[in-house]
Amino acid sequence: MNDRRASMTEISKQTHTACEECDLLVAVPEVREGERAECPRCGHLLTQRPRQGFERALSFALAGCVFFVISLSFPFLSFSSSGIENVMTLPEASIAIYRQHDAILAAIVFVAIIALPIALLVAVIALTFPLVQGLRASWLPQAAKLMFQLNNWAMVEVFVIGAIVSLVKIAHLATVVLGLSFWAYIIFAICLTAAISGLDRMQVWLAIEANRT
Amino acid sequence: MSYPANTAAAQGLALCHVCCHLDHVERHQCSRCGAELHLRHPDSLQRTMALLITAVILYIPANVLPIMDTVQLGGGEPSTILGGVLLLIKLDSYPVAAVIFIASVMVPIAKLLAMFYLVWSARRRNPGSPMQCTKIYRMTELVGKWSMVDVFVVSILVALIQLGGLLSILPGPAALAFAGVVVCTMLAAHGFDTRLIWDRARENND
Repeated sequence: MNDRRASMTEISKQTHTACEECDLLVAVPEVREGERAECPRCGHLLTQRPRQGFERALSFALAGCVFFVISLSFPFLSFSSSGIENVMTLPEASIAIYRQHDAILAAIVFVAIIALPIALLVAVIALTFPLVQGLRASWLPQAAKLMFQLNNWAMVEVFVIGAIVSLVKIAHLATVVLGLSFWAYIIFAICLTAAISGLDRMQVWLAIEANRT
Repeated sequence: MSYPANTAAAQGLALCHVCCHLDHVERHQCSRCGAELHLRHPDSLQRTMALLITAVILYIPANVLPIMDTVQLGGGEPSTILGGVLLLIKLDSYPVAAVIFIASVMVPIAKLLAMFYLVWSARRRNPGSPMQCTKIYRMTELVGKWSMVDVFVVSILVALIQLGGLLSILPGPAALAFAGVVVCTMLAAHGFDTRLIWDRARENND
């Protein structure tokens, strides 16, 4: 017991970290670019450093913004049956429900497919631009908090699958055509996923700390 | 409450849930990002349980009530989640029927059962393999949002098919209830602290 105590005094918050899933105390892993460290007990990813992660995240986020604007400006799906045509844009997926007096559902859809994804991209840019350029910025902690806490709630890829399912469901009723906005939204979904996967929580916070001093 | 010796909690150290900084828990606030520090999520099991019960209650209207209503030439034709799957099978779109069946029927039920099992595991005296529980938890987190597919299908069809009395699709009350099920189970998984299971397992080994 005494031995254990003695060795434990050397453990400090500078040299050690804990696994988020099983709370095992481990020495802070030293990872080089392209490497990842896992918890020796439960295998949870402790940290990773993707090659040029920040640069990659920034460029995907900038590209994502362009495709997001495109996906808002053109038809998403269009539908024609016995001479009648109807065109749907991306925001209408939420607006149409709002018109049917279901404001809560409209808000959930709006947040999951439009508001949150674009907020995430802006947060990625606000975070990585100063870090890549080596500029001081006071908003880095807020941007990182927003990004890591909310990224699970963006549902762009689920919405893409939903669009494909809708297509199959109504194909027997009418002719359905995929619009330019549909393709732009798919590329936007890919950019968002790629941007976020380049960012590791531990590495981002270490960079923020280094940026402060 | 004592924690297993090899954990951070046993040393009075807590991992900040916001920025992954290891800090002394008696400081109450993370010295790097200012978030509140806790050794374990406060009231994790009670919160998870409350959200799971809410999800079970919402699951009933989500399946019994219509998720959308197809109005054609004056007549209405409401359809439920399962009805939608049957329609797709009738149209011979088996892959899409499988996607909807898995996302809207199997995943929510499996998720609810898995989360109840995890809460029960974290409470009982002699829990099963903590590694197995952790794997179940990871699966639950991974599939969480995919159940929203059906809600998005409704939102797209409602926006696209608005030809007045000739042919229109209206959202049904089940759409909101089902979105509620998905949100509640996602929050439940998010609030569940897997470290509680590891604490239990180690206690019994020592």
